[in-house]
Amino acid sequence: MHLDFSIILKYLPYLLQGAGLTIELAVLGIAFGILIGLVAALLKISQTPLRFIAHFYIWLIRGTPLLVQLFLIYFGLPQLGITLSAFASSVLGLGINSGAYLAEVFRGGIEAIPKGQTEASSSLGMGKFLTLRRIIFPQALRIALPSLGNQFIISLKDSSLCSVITMSELLQTSQRFASVTFASMEFYTAAAVFYLMMTTVLSVALRSLEWRLSKENRTRGCY
Amino acid sequence: MKKITTLILVSLILLVATGCGASKSNSAATTTTLDRIKADGKLTYAMSGQYPPFNFYNEQNVLTGFDVEIGQEIAKRINVKPTPIATEWDGLIAGLTTSKFDMILGSMAITDERLEKVDFSTPYYRSGAQVIVPSDSKISGGVDLKGKTVGVVLGTTFETKARELGATVKTYKGDPDAFNDMANGRLDAVITDKIVGLNAIKKNNYPYKLVGDLLYTEKMGIAIRKDSPKLLEAVNNALTAMLNDGTYKKISEKYFSADIR
Repeated sequence: MHLDFSIILKYLPYLLQGAGLTIELAVLGIAFGILIGLVAALLKISQTPLRFIAHFYIWLIRGTPLLVQLFLIYFGLPQLGITLSAFASSVLGLGINSGAYLAEVFRGGIEAIPKGQTEASSSLGMGKFLTLRRIIFPQALRIALPSLGNQFIISLKDSSLCSVITMSELLQTSQRFASVTFASMEFYTAAAVFYLMMTTVLSVALRSLEWRLSKENRTRGCY
Repeated sequence: MKKITTLILVSLILLVATGCGASKSNSAATTTTLDRIKADGKLTYAMSGQYPPFNFYNEQNVLTGFDVEIGQEIAKRINVKPTPIATEWDGLIAGLTTSKFDMILGSMAITDERLEKVDFSTPYYRSGAQVIVPSDSKISGGVDLKGKTVGVVLGTTFETKARELGATVKTYKGDPDAFNDMANGRLDAVITDKIVGLNAIKKNNYPYKLVGDLLYTEKMGIAIRKDSPKLLEAVNNALTAMLNDGTYKKISEKYFSADIR
């Protein structure tokens, strides 16, 4: 067994292209997930019958593997006449998957804010939506941020599963060259390093965001 | 508490040390792969399992097909039990070189690149790469594939060819997925083995047609680790014997109604 990592250099442009697609998938998937997660979280804490839809959605998505969901969307839906491109299927899959987890993160954040604040706002004449936007959300976001970041990192890595539905993202690109050159160790190590770089940047960005959002607490020295 | 930690650490180190020792003594010993196969009483050979009719899972969920039966015949001739296994196509060569199984008997074409990593038996059948398109397609052969979306299995010679032809390549784990995706309208063409294509169209009533000449012909061989020349010799002898005594012809005609040697 001998390792020759110089082989990576030759294929670097393609790997970078794959990494670019990984970032694209992760960003769009997470953005979509935030949207769904927010709606699902609000539905779940609402006192309307709609909350059962949110319950069902979270139960269904958290209870099944993302890989199965991707297969269903990409290979299954065409049987029902819905044929999405691989890219659309991937973003949809990552979005609805992360959305279920994000819904619980958001709910946790919102429910952590004492009821008294809502009552105080309404006694000041603020409407429900305004209370949510001006009072609850800013604080809930701060509480939820560490768990949010966690989910972002998980989704970024989960985008590698899209390789099985024909996406030429980072993992599939690495697989492709590993299978041609037989340099498995070299290419999968390269893929791992790329993922690590991406998640590191993401972690650092999230930490600085956390730092900035906690400014008020720091300066006032209380919470 | 400290004592327990030390104990755990020491036992871990011992475990690792003895583990390494064991593997070293294994590789240092002069037993050949063939000796080990005979001692174990079984010949393990790998394939994708997604390549009907050469290798696939039947209705009883049993791995079967032309490749499997050729392997059974080889095992019989060296007096051991045949153990066919299915694993991802693009991981087959890596699996072989790291001794996860004894050989690859899965319709693998003999290529110069592969010969650098593994040895191949004498060819056990010949076929070629075929362009397959929906019946109403205007594509009439390989040259028309430039810029078209073409489905292939990851890590195959078909994938290399599709990229050479300038197609937009989509890769799959097996041909059935690619054929399905063409039915879903996501592919303009599939490149795969001609026999595999004919079989898929016949079995699933796909509205597809074969177009153009074979892109190239291929000789399929059984891949064996370079450190196992004795096994290679035994496999070649078994192949020659079954080609001569009619056993090969019988298996081939069972699947293809023709002798594909």
